[in-house]
Amino acid sequence: MLFFENSTRTRVSFEQACNYLGYRVVNFAGSGSSMNKGESLKDTILTLKHELLEAVVMRHKASGSAQLGQGYFGGPLINAGDGQHEHPTQALGDALTVLERKGRLDGLKIAIVGDVMHSRVARSNSWMFSKMGSEVRFVGPRTLMPSSMAMLPGEVFYDLRTGISGADVVMCLRLQKERMTDGRLSSMGEYRRLYQVNRQTLKWAADDAIVMHPGPMNRGVELDDLTADGPDSVILDQVSNGVFVRMAALKWLFDGEETNS
Amino acid sequence: MRTVFKNGRIIDPSQELDVVGSVIVEDGQVVDLGEDIEIGEYDELYDCEGLWITPGLVDLHAHLREPGEERRETIKSGTQAAAAGGFTTICCMPNTSPALDSPSLVDFILDKAASPEAGGIFVQPIGALTKGQRGLELADLAALKKAGVAAVSDEGGPIQDASVMMRAMEFCLQLDLPIMVHSEDLNLSEGGCMNDGPTSAMLGLTGIPRSAEEIMIMRNGVLALNTGCRIHFMRISTWGGVEMIRQFKYLGAPVTCEVCPPYLTLTDEHVGEFDPVFKTTPPLRTEIDIDILMQGLADGTIDAIASDHSPYAPYEVEVPFDEAPMGMSTLESTLAVTLTHVTHKGRLSPMETIRKLSTAPAEILGLDAGSLMPGHTPVAQITVIDPNLEWVFDATRTFSQGKNSPYHGWSMTGKAVLTFCGSEVYRCAHFDEERYELALA
Repeated sequence: MLFFENSTRTRVSFEQACNYLGYRVVNFAGSGSSMNKGESLKDTILTLKHELLEAVVMRHKASGSAQLGQGYFGGPLINAGDGQHEHPTQALGDALTVLERKGRLDGLKIAIVGDVMHSRVARSNSWMFSKMGSEVRFVGPRTLMPSSMAMLPGEVFYDLRTGISGADVVMCLRLQKERMTDGRLSSMGEYRRLYQVNRQTLKWAADDAIVMHPGPMNRGVELDDLTADGPDSVILDQVSNGVFVRMAALKWLFDGEETNS
Repeated sequence: MRTVFKNGRIIDPSQELDVVGSVIVEDGQVVDLGEDIEIGEYDELYDCEGLWITPGLVDLHAHLREPGEERRETIKSGTQAAAAGGFTTICCMPNTSPALDSPSLVDFILDKAASPEAGGIFVQPIGALTKGQRGLELADLAALKKAGVAAVSDEGGPIQDASVMMRAMEFCLQLDLPIMVHSEDLNLSEGGCMNDGPTSAMLGLTGIPRSAEEIMIMRNGVLALNTGCRIHFMRISTWGGVEMIRQFKYLGAPVTCEVCPPYLTLTDEHVGEFDPVFKTTPPLRTEIDIDILMQGLADGTIDAIASDHSPYAPYEVEVPFDEAPMGMSTLESTLAVTLTHVTHKGRLSPMETIRKLSTAPAEILGLDAGSLMPGHTPVAQITVIDPNLEWVFDATRTFSQGKNSPYHGWSMTGKAVLTFCGSEVYRCAHFDEERYELALA
């Protein structure tokens, strides 16, 4: 388990998945970039390979690092989040969560709301849900939306109301505090006014819409308390399902078995 | 010593000459050229039938990395690479370690370049515009000029403060010293590692907006117009930049500009697999930019083609994309890529191709190069090009220490097969041995 970047949630989720499966886990906590640390990603991965680890779960702050790491490792490597690029097991868990509640994925309207620009969760989920036949929408302020979304599978909305109108799933993204300091947003309050999913704004979505958040959430910002803890919220199911799909992914890698996720 | 280049297509833009004929070199200098000239006795002869004989190519923009970054390149390996790429004169950029901001460093480079181990070509140092290239205080520009720099530049760390830039231009105008500018607003490009567009959005990489380049081209062009200082825009990458420079030229601003082959052949979509060889500054743009850059080349808005040769050590590019350094090793691919993707595609005539790669860059900086005219250059600088040679570029087998080429494995049509700078400095294995003859007994 190779975490170059701190991530308690994903790390615990993978550890728990390994515990259930009876796999032994070795933790390697790197910090910062290869440049700061003095050892390159290449050398770290080659070291693990020659310590005969059978699989690697890797989190790194650089987009594309999982692909690079896999090249050096050769064997199974699970991307536990690479920069702003992808977080595939999160998307698998989210898809399972929606499937449990809705019984299907095709034909659903999925609105992904918030800081799309910096979100690997948004990217992986857009691929996941569009592949399964859902209609994906990206919703957020222009300052947090890439200038061109032409290569990502979803329509872009800058207005929350039209963006989540009729949506079956409203997936909120985490808003980082640094978006205020880099001039993309004036304040959390401004974001709340424009994009908070709460009991009022959720009425714009489908009647039986469910609300998701990959965590950790800023309570009262992306979501209000009542919605986060309410009956439409599946946020904790996402957490549980995250463990199950990570078990499935690990088992599939080792046994090559098809699993139903 | 009499050397004959026999029966080639002589293409010399400095004389608007395009004829089949011969070039005679005596004791390292061109003494005669043209059709129907008397070949007479000779010590060595190159049979150039079916080949082009052109002025030695001139590169406005190469990074030789020495002093301080010999892990990437040395003056020796860099000049050998240049010779193999058909260049007889190259300008080396001042962003070495330390920066090229003092006369003693200029001497160091000139000495190294002239040593017998080096590639046998001319190296023209470009001085730092500001001390340590920090963009704050001017370097001792008069002393640098006296030491032999042909221009000054802050390269990839351009002056951000417009008032500092304006004073630099006023001072350089007085010294008659051109400034070579890399146009980038560092606030707009901060944190970015590729062109801002659909691909950066998909890959989750931070984009560099085209505005970062265009705003600085606009600023520098306005300052050039108002001060009268000569400005050379390096490595233009955006269509907007081309249009602005066209306008500045129309207004009479003393500006010139260059483009580099990667901006004519590659787009940001090439970054798709996160391969750092496609990371450069300014970043690779889009098909629309390529189209307008090609037009700019054809209509003369873009004066020159430069290599922007930026070699790196292998370990420096075996890292995640956003941690990788920016730049490509290109001295040995610049001519071939230009011939294959510009000339043979009908975007530039052979004459204009050689102008952009030789005569024009020499004129921009007033270098003794870029012409076959007898007496024009201190020693004969001649490149023999086989325009139709089919070959595959292999980045692992270059003279350059930098193997970070985006063209590895590309099929090329055309190559420098002989480079002559006072004497032969490079002969390609493809240059048929039968074409070379030593003195008749």
